[in-house]
Amino acid sequence: MAFSTTVSQRKYIKRKAPRGFLKRVFKRQKPHLRLETSSDLLVHLNCLLFVHRLAEESRMNAFENKYGIIKKEHVQAAAKVILKKSRG
Amino acid sequence: MAESYNRDSEPTTRTLLRRVLDTADTRTPRRRRSARVGAQKALLETPSSRRLSTPTKMNVRRGSHRARSIGRLAHVHTSGNLEEQTPRTLLKNIILTAPESSIMTPKSVVKPVPTPQVAQSSRQESSRGSLELQLPELEPPTTLALGLLAPGRRKQRLRLSVFQQEMDQGLPLSQAEPRGNASASSLTSSLSLNFATPLQPQSVQRPGLARRPPIRRAVDVGAFLQDLRDTSLALASPGDSLRTPVATLPTDTVLEDTQPFSQPLVGHSPNPGKPAQLLSGKAKKVDVLAVRFPNNSSAISGEDGVEPLQDGVGEEAEERMEESLSMSEVMGSTGTQGSVRTEKSKGHREMTEALEAKEPEGSSEDEDISGRTASPELASSTTESLQARRPQFLEPSPPPSTTVLSSEPLEPLSTRHPPRARTHGPRPRQDPHKTGLSHYVKLFSFYAKMPMEKKALEMVEKCLDKYFQHLCDDLEVFSAHAGRKTVRPEDLELLMRRQGLVNDQVSLHVLVERHLPLEYRNLLIPCAFSGNSVFPAQ
Repeated sequence: MAFSTTVSQRKYIKRKAPRGFLKRVFKRQKPHLRLETSSDLLVHLNCLLFVHRLAEESRMNAFENKYGIIKKEHVQAAAKVILKKSRG
Repeated sequence: MAESYNRDSEPTTRTLLRRVLDTADTRTPRRRRSARVGAQKALLETPSSRRLSTPTKMNVRRGSHRARSIGRLAHVHTSGNLEEQTPRTLLKNIILTAPESSIMTPKSVVKPVPTPQVAQSSRQESSRGSLELQLPELEPPTTLALGLLAPGRRKQRLRLSVFQQEMDQGLPLSQAEPRGNASASSLTSSLSLNFATPLQPQSVQRPGLARRPPIRRAVDVGAFLQDLRDTSLALASPGDSLRTPVATLPTDTVLEDTQPFSQPLVGHSPNPGKPAQLLSGKAKKVDVLAVRFPNNSSAISGEDGVEPLQDGVGEEAEERMEESLSMSEVMGSTGTQGSVRTEKSKGHREMTEALEAKEPEGSSEDEDISGRTASPELASSTTESLQARRPQFLEPSPPPSTTVLSSEPLEPLSTRHPPRARTHGPRPRQDPHKTGLSHYVKLFSFYAKMPMEKKALEMVEKCLDKYFQHLCDDLEVFSAHAGRKTVRPEDLELLMRRQGLVNDQVSLHVLVERHLPLEYRNLLIPCAFSGNSVFPAQ
């Protein structure tokens, strides 16, 4: 509908880490490795930070082009940068 | 001591034991030992008890044992039978310390007396097993303590007896109890439930509806509509379909309702499992029907945005919901899923098509599809959706509640629903992965604080996939470098350091504190606790 200036977070973000999902993903990729309990949470932290950076970057891209919405191209460009950064 | 107690005419356990002990006392030769024990006690209790002052080693050992046992048992018991923990002594101590109750009425529901008896006998049994714990003190305090224990237990038993009274008096009430039929514990728990639900008499008249108090539904609908209005004003759930310029009508596309048993409407594909097929070309119907059913649709997708048409449509929706409610009530008692669904499906096929057709095909987030598959019916969606939020409790309840939509906010539940035979083969494989990713996608839209396109969200999903691949590779390399096959937190720390997130200014703990909730923080950051212990251990 119409875009309002305020973004109301009526839907509250869950702060739980999808530990089962993370473990499953890791197992699918690297079945010969094991993931420890605490490292599960740190992986979640890493994902959070990655997503955070990605969102910030996309927002900046959108702002620079004076768009009110984040478009696919913004996200793509941001992803390139951030993925490169989080290569490790 | 024991002789001073009155012998009850009724043969209670206590009296029997007393008699045994009294008669047995006279025969034991242990009295002779008592004198020796008394002398040794005096010796042993001195700090020099270790010295071999006693003539034989045996005596010393026995004496030390006795000292220990004496230390544990009450000093007051001067009977002298406490040197060794024989069954006799144990029972005697029980009798001495356990409070008396002379009254014994076998089964009087009115009096709470049997319950203390029950409590006492049970306590006696338990105390036999763990005597030492109960008799470390002097006699009066123990009786006081146990006396204090008794009322507490009496209270619990009292509640039970009260409930038993109610049971005897008003069986229909207890029958109307949803679950509290089998055991006492459940009865007591349901007792509190009983008080909380004043709707029991109504449900008694309609036994089939015992578990679904009708009044709640009405409230839910109203509250839900209110909610919808608020959301409509408030606007945007980020990243959802409605913001697309494609969306002509605000009604939700996302709401697809999967009706696996839905009858084919007007030559539409009746395929229940592929709502995507129904997406094709129903634009005409959409306009007509969409107006009418935004409420129901939005009921399903709670997070989807809000249609301004709600107010006008609200009444209509309510009517529909009322009739669907009545329908469901009628059908509910029979418990036939198919019939109910077909009934409702006829009523709501149009809605489903409308909704599905509106879904912009390009977007078709799998989440929506999964939401669709999980939510078969729109009928009485509001009430049912709210009921669906108590799915575990109402599992045996009539089908409409089971078929309730787990609306969009309950998306993770959709992974539970695929076993309900609504999805095809390949879908479940993708779905859990997507629903897991969707968590991070939602976080993305939350962090972005701006409205987003659907395509952008898909892009984010792809990025996340790539990111996870990179992550796993890196972790593998790091752990292999350390000669391990398990990924440990140190590997993660190294990874974050290399990513530049952790440096000398910002440590890992700082990041943990900033971004993770408290429960995870406690698990990750070692913290000192009392007793010189650190958790988690390093």
